[in-house]
Amino acid sequence: MAKQYDVLFRLLLLGDSGVGKTCLLCRFTDNEFHPSHISTIGVDFKMKTLLIDGIKVRIQIWDTAGQERYQTITKQYYRRAQGIFLVYDITSERSFQHIMKWASDVDEYAPDKVQKILVGNKSDEVDKRQVATEQGVKLAKAYGMDFFETSAFTNHNISETFTRLAEQVLAANKKDLDLLRTSINDELNLAALEEEEGLCDSAAGDQHKGCWC
Amino acid sequence: MRHTKPKFNNVKSKKASSFHEFARSTNDAWDIDDEEDEEFLGTFNTTSSIQNQVPTIYIYLSVITSYFYLCAPHSVRSTLQKQQSLPVRPIIPLVARISDQNASGAPPMTVREKSRLDKFRQLLASPNTDLEELRKHSWSGIPREVRPITWRLLSGYLPANKERRELVLKRKREEYFRFIEQYYHSRTDEHYKDTYRQIHIDIPRTNPLIPLFQQPAVQEVFERILFIWAIRHPASGYVQGINDLVTPFFVVFLSEFVTEDMENFEVAALPLETQRNIEADSFWCMSKLLDGIQDNYTFAQPGIQNKVKALEELVSRIDEDIHNHFKRYEVEYLQFAFRWMNNLLMRELPLRCTIRLWDTYQAEAEGFSHFHLYVCAAFLIEWRKEILSMVDFQGLLMLLQNLPTIHWGNEEVGLLLAEAYRLKYMFADAPSHYKR
Repeated sequence: MAKQYDVLFRLLLLGDSGVGKTCLLCRFTDNEFHPSHISTIGVDFKMKTLLIDGIKVRIQIWDTAGQERYQTITKQYYRRAQGIFLVYDITSERSFQHIMKWASDVDEYAPDKVQKILVGNKSDEVDKRQVATEQGVKLAKAYGMDFFETSAFTNHNISETFTRLAEQVLAANKKDLDLLRTSINDELNLAALEEEEGLCDSAAGDQHKGCWC
Repeated sequence: MRHTKPKFNNVKSKKASSFHEFARSTNDAWDIDDEEDEEFLGTFNTTSSIQNQVPTIYIYLSVITSYFYLCAPHSVRSTLQKQQSLPVRPIIPLVARISDQNASGAPPMTVREKSRLDKFRQLLASPNTDLEELRKHSWSGIPREVRPITWRLLSGYLPANKERRELVLKRKREEYFRFIEQYYHSRTDEHYKDTYRQIHIDIPRTNPLIPLFQQPAVQEVFERILFIWAIRHPASGYVQGINDLVTPFFVVFLSEFVTEDMENFEVAALPLETQRNIEADSFWCMSKLLDGIQDNYTFAQPGIQNKVKALEELVSRIDEDIHNHFKRYEVEYLQFAFRWMNNLLMRELPLRCTIRLWDTYQAEAEGFSHFHLYVCAAFLIEWRKEILSMVDFQGLLMLLQNLPTIHWGNEEVGLLLAEAYRLKYMFADAPSHYKR
């Protein structure tokens, strides 16, 4: 059976309601844009496989609801994330202010090793801009994160942002990565390794895809 | 196992291509159904063959519009937004009649339906409507013609006593508009502006593909209803998903004044008084519904967490294979069933199916808070074959978050409800009847 991917990990999209998390994700995974997307309830799921340095990287992306009431539910997903997008809307000062709160939640609930990236979305809406690019740069610097301004509408910096976070997660898991390079024939599930529990994906992948009815 | 119906071949996504494939692959089956209908009814439905083409056309349209989008320079964004809201599903009705089959139009009434409608009319016309009797008949679906009044009665908004109804309606409608006068201006106050902001963000995202809901007059109605409800219920306030719950009431009460093509009906063209009555009735009926499930929306959403746990427990008893399959691939019930509970399956079913579902929920005691659990279990089991054929986490999640119900109609909902009833009967009063 041909290998679908070499490494698997989980990324999480966080940020206020309406900043465009779902739009970023749809643009990235399906290259689609819908101006008024139905609001996300709880957590949604998509995936995509990227090729980074010759490694097939399968990323699971969890898209969360931004409203505060959902945070009891969404926080349950922090623990298992290896990378997190902190998203604000450049036309909303408020969503930018809230990045601090999102970042401190991440500190509290996500693993120490988690990689973060700051994203200022809706960069096409120049007339409505409330947050200057420099503000984003400065905040990202303060947190030691990379920073991108994106537009899901014009497809600006979308794949760059997702790829960068994926690269960072790979680099942060270099030990596992080296292991992978020495035994490239084995699928490696970073998520499972980190949790030290659960199914090894290679075992699941080898299952004969029969019908069990 | 109940797998007699033809199913979607490609269960992985709702995307245009797969639906197109589905439409093509099942054209024959739909044609056969229509022939049977015609014979059975002894009438000739001239439009049915045209209507059958529509889902395919709809898909073409949306493919074209999204292509247009991707190519468009961003200066024409707002024009394009309008284009996006062009009529896209003109035939599949928002409110289906008992007899409306899936994607076909509205065939003439059968003798059986006629007698059902007469029975409802008789109950509704009596000086004191027998609510027990009304519930009994409503369980298997309420005829479209009498649905608005029946919903008002079943929700507890209108009294059984016929003489008092007019007065109650007048009083409640006035009361609602007094709330508006008193409180709606406070949406800009420091204390409420977060609530209003969230509602305001969500309204354009409510049923975004149906033109009716993009009309400013309709969006304002939703904003007022939700804001007033939220500030009167501070324990939960406004929670995303509650916006969806206004829709069925609004559509059903609007249906009293619209005979066809409701998706594109211009609400502002109705007399102001009529618009106001629809708004007030929607508010009160939605309030009655939410009274029963408010713990779904309070801090930490205990109602939902409990129901998801109960669903897991129930499925582990009724279908061990599915339960173990989820365990094996580390699928958690919360990952798909949270939304089923939070939005009462509205995100998983076409609106016409939700309306039919709510006929039964309002006819059942604790329909929304309790019976819904059994409906969710039945809904999950419905996809048994597809679930068991997925052998990785990703495939399972993609399936469970995008179940292909776009073609569903009364028939599918009827079967779902029958199965839910069976489950409830077997397990509700005997929780340890089937031990794993």
